[in-house]
Amino acid sequence: MITVNVILLSITSKSRSTLGIGRVGLSFVAPFQELVTRSVRYTRGVWGHYFFLVSVAQENDTLKKMLNESIEKNNQWHEIELANTRLRNLLNFQKAPTNRIVAAEVIGKDPSGWFKTVIIDKGKAEGLQKGLPVVLPQGIVGQVIEVSSHYSKVMLVIDRNSAVDALVQRSRARGIIKGASADQCRFEFVLRKHDVQIGDTVISSGLDGVYPKGLRIGRVSDLSERKSDIFYDITVAPFVDYETLEEVLVILRSKIKAMTSER
Amino acid sequence: MKYGIFIGTCLSLIILQTTILPYSNVFSGIYDLLIPFVVFICIYLPLRESLPFVLILGLIMDNLSGSPFGLHLTFYFWLLVGVRWIITFLRVGNKFLLSIIAVVAVLIENILIIGTFLLSGSDWQLPADVIKNIALQFFWAMATAPIFLFCLLTLLKRFNIQLNGVATHP
Repeated sequence: MITVNVILLSITSKSRSTLGIGRVGLSFVAPFQELVTRSVRYTRGVWGHYFFLVSVAQENDTLKKMLNESIEKNNQWHEIELANTRLRNLLNFQKAPTNRIVAAEVIGKDPSGWFKTVIIDKGKAEGLQKGLPVVLPQGIVGQVIEVSSHYSKVMLVIDRNSAVDALVQRSRARGIIKGASADQCRFEFVLRKHDVQIGDTVISSGLDGVYPKGLRIGRVSDLSERKSDIFYDITVAPFVDYETLEEVLVILRSKIKAMTSER
Repeated sequence: MKYGIFIGTCLSLIILQTTILPYSNVFSGIYDLLIPFVVFICIYLPLRESLPFVLILGLIMDNLSGSPFGLHLTFYFWLLVGVRWIITFLRVGNKFLLSIIAVVAVLIENILIIGTFLLSGSDWQLPADVIKNIALQFFWAMATAPIFLFCLLTLLKRFNIQLNGVATHP
C-alpha cells in the first residue's frame, strides 16, 4: 500500500496532474475565500481611508511629482511608438493585435509555506484556461495551472516548479528563470561568455510558449562564477511583490498566439 | 449538530490559513492548522466517520495548494493510520499527548513535502530557508496545538456533544 502510494505521488509530482478532480475543492472553498478576502479588504480600506488621512497629503505630493515624471516619459514613448509604427509600415509588418486581458482579484493563497500559488476569482466562464500567463504592470506574476468555472489557481514565478525562458535585456544573454526560496528566483543556464552584471533587468524571451516576449521579470541581485562551471550562478529579485499581491491581469491565449506568430 | 461543528471548524481553518494568515507577517510561516484537527477526529470519531472526513479534507487541501496532487490526501490518510495505531498502546484523551502527536505530525508533513521535491526529479537544491521553515512551524505547533485542541474540546463540551470514538469524553 505504501509502495503504491509513493508511486502515485511520484507520478503526480512529475506530471502535476490532478487526475481530473482538481477543481472540486476549488469550486467548493473558493466562494468562501472570496467572501472573507473581500470583507477583510473592505475593512482595511475603510481603516485606510478614514483613519490614516494624515499621511495622505504627503503621499499625494510624492505621487504628483511621480505623475509629472511619468507624463514626460509617456510623451517620449509616444514619439517612439509613432516612429515604430512608421517603420513597421515601411517593412510591411503586421500590426500587433489588441490586448485581450482579464483583470482578476487574488482571493486566497497557498496554505503551505513551501508552494507559491494563489487563487483568483476568474475562471472558465471568463475565458481562462490552463497555461495562460498572469502579469502585472511591474512584471510577470505566474501562470494558470488549474481552472474551475469561476476560479483559477495560479502558480507564481517564485514557486520551485516554475520556469520561464528569459533574457538579460541589455546583453540578450539567455537562460531559464526558476523559482527559489524567499521570494527570489535563480537565473540558470546563462553562459559565462555573456556579459551579465548586477542590476541588469531580466525579461521574458517568449520562447517558452507561455509568456509573451519582453515582459519584465526582475533585476539581477547576485552574481557569482564557479571555476568548474560554464554557467553563471545568478539570483534575480522579481519586480512584483508577491506578498502584497491583490489584483492581477491574465493574458488570454489569442493574444499570445498572435504575438508568437508575429515574431 | 456534531458534523455541522466539524464541517464548520475545518472550513474555518481552511479559510483562515488561505486568506487571513498568509497576509499577516506574524503568522505567515505557520504550520498546517488541519493537522491537530485531523489528529482530533482520528481519536474522537470512529474509523467509519473519520476516514471520509480525512479523505475529503485531503482532497480539498490538494486542490487549494500548489503541492503535487495527493500529497495532503496521502499525509492525512497515513496520519489517521498512524494515530489509530499509536492509540492501541498509549492512553488517549490526554491533551498533552495529543499535542505531542500533532507536533510530530507537523514535522512528518514537512519531511514528506521535501520528499516530494526529490520525487519530482527536478534539480532541487536545499534552500537556506528549509531549516527556518521547519523550525518556525515546529515552534508554532508547540505553542498553539495544545490551545487549539483545548478550544476544540471546550466547543464540543459547550454543545454537549458526545463522541463515540476511541476516547469518548472530550
